[in-house]
Amino acid sequence: MKINPDQVRYTPEASELEASGDRPRSAGNDSERVLRGSLAHGHSWWRRIGRRSGALFPYELILLPALAMFVFQGLPVIHGILISLQDFSIWNPEPTFVGLWNYSRVLSNPLFYLALENTGLFLLLAVSLELILGLCIALLISKPYPGERVVRILLLFPLLVAPVVAGLMFYWMFNAEFGFINKVLGLLGFPTVLWFNRPWTAFLIIVLADVWTWTPWFTLLLYSALQTLPPEPVEAAHLDGANAWQIFRNITLPLLFPVASFTVLIRSFDAFRVFDVVWTMTAGGPGNATEVFGTFVYRIGLLTVNYSEGAAAAMIGALIIMVVGVVVYGTISRIVWGRTAA
Amino acid sequence: MRERHGARILRISMIYLVAFGFLVPVLYLTLTAFRRPQAVFYVLEAGLEFSIRNFTDALNWRGVRIKEAFVNSALIATVSTLLSLVVTLPSGYMLARYRTRLARTWFFIIYLVRAVPYVSWVLPLFLLAQKLGLYDTYFGIIAAQAAFHVAFYSWILKGFFEGVPHEVEEAALLDGCSRWGAFFRIAVPLAMPGVVAAGILGWIWGWNELLIALFLTTESIPMFAKTVSAFITEMGVEWGRMAATGVMATVPAVIVTALCYRYIVAGLGGIHKT
Repeated sequence: MKINPDQVRYTPEASELEASGDRPRSAGNDSERVLRGSLAHGHSWWRRIGRRSGALFPYELILLPALAMFVFQGLPVIHGILISLQDFSIWNPEPTFVGLWNYSRVLSNPLFYLALENTGLFLLLAVSLELILGLCIALLISKPYPGERVVRILLLFPLLVAPVVAGLMFYWMFNAEFGFINKVLGLLGFPTVLWFNRPWTAFLIIVLADVWTWTPWFTLLLYSALQTLPPEPVEAAHLDGANAWQIFRNITLPLLFPVASFTVLIRSFDAFRVFDVVWTMTAGGPGNATEVFGTFVYRIGLLTVNYSEGAAAAMIGALIIMVVGVVVYGTISRIVWGRTAA
Repeated sequence: MRERHGARILRISMIYLVAFGFLVPVLYLTLTAFRRPQAVFYVLEAGLEFSIRNFTDALNWRGVRIKEAFVNSALIATVSTLLSLVVTLPSGYMLARYRTRLARTWFFIIYLVRAVPYVSWVLPLFLLAQKLGLYDTYFGIIAAQAAFHVAFYSWILKGFFEGVPHEVEEAALLDGCSRWGAFFRIAVPLAMPGVVAAGILGWIWGWNELLIALFLTTESIPMFAKTVSAFITEMGVEWGRMAATGVMATVPAVIVTALCYRYIVAGLGGIHKT
């Protein structure tokens, strides 16, 4: 007997059930009982709607996660927006409605723009470096080499270290008096550098710390992607006489684009919210040279204990990143899938 | 394509150079941890003098309660990871199996949630948690961590479930299995390597968690990452003890990763199928 998938029903239609008296049956032939499989006793409101229980399944699936996200992220955001529209700080614990006043304060604060600028620059530098280095390493380890087992774990190390610890490590290493970088430089005859006293060097060290921590992430993902690439196009190109660089540029790179672009996107979001490393190493210094969005909100919201202004800053940043995220996502999905996904 | 001998040697030396480069900060930290506390400023010059004074000091430091922090972080990381995975598995499955408008909307929501910086909801959550009585409770921090990772796991698990062929599930459905039954008994076991990989990564992140812990707990719930920052006293940074704590903080993550490396690579191989 040929089964036509379109005609297979996993649950009885409403009319059938009404006809059968709307009662679960222990009798009835095997296929009937089996077809009623997932309809346990008492789901009568589904039957009345006349839907197959399968149609609600996707909603059931996301019910719990959506609830969790709503309670711990949705509600706080709503609460945050409310607070940002009020005047709520340690000097004014009774919130009063002030409309967009906090927003105008944040937007007229030059430190805010500096923080955004720094964050953007940090993001560009750090993520590009991580991508390029990660790709290079992934290519290096894609062919066998001695000591693979151990090296693999070593390459993952930076991911395992807590960002706080990483920040402290780099702070310690580049310590002007006792850090070993300066001592090594001294041994080699170079003058010692006051790494954290000059804006550019401090910035670079923060980028370095981030690159150190996250390059392994790119390596891991790109390596996994490389392993699952189909070998046929590469072999065909090789037969046609293409050299390694041409193969890489015209086959490997385009095939890696989906993975790489989404990884870059997600990592960019994480880079935008960087806090741990910056705070432990420079606290936004020297001066304000390394102030980023995360430290700015922390400073305004908690250090000055002006909750509502901090909330306003947080919301503005969230809005910016969401808009950028949507635009970039649309662009990428058009490239990858030839259409917008939403 | 065979690799020329010279290129191979170059490649292998590059690999080891990079591996060493990654290790240098960690090695330096470990070396610092094993020096005598006073020798912290002469880490490289102190020759072969080692001591575990820093570790004993840190472990016995009354104000900071490292042993409790160790246990707490492990407990909180484990429970929140398990909770988060259990709650998020259906979400990843749904994103993988459905292409409806609902699925696209859900994906978009998750994407937006991932985009927003933590600080944007941790700050209001801090205020909200006090009103709801969740502040400074184990339940609060576990639930918050679990919820925060839902978006992350949904993304990854979607990739894994897409790698699970749906023919087996459809066969089971035709045989009368319920949708949830097909999910639990077929899809999830087949996606297990990926789930384990995601779980391991999530556990490590839970273990390293700082920001949420700072906002939602006080000293009554010691956690590892917080103790590291606790060594910054007014008298200056206690480098020796901090290094020791840093080393102790990293050891569990290293052990877990070393044991489960296969799962991580195998699991993440499916992630590119988003």
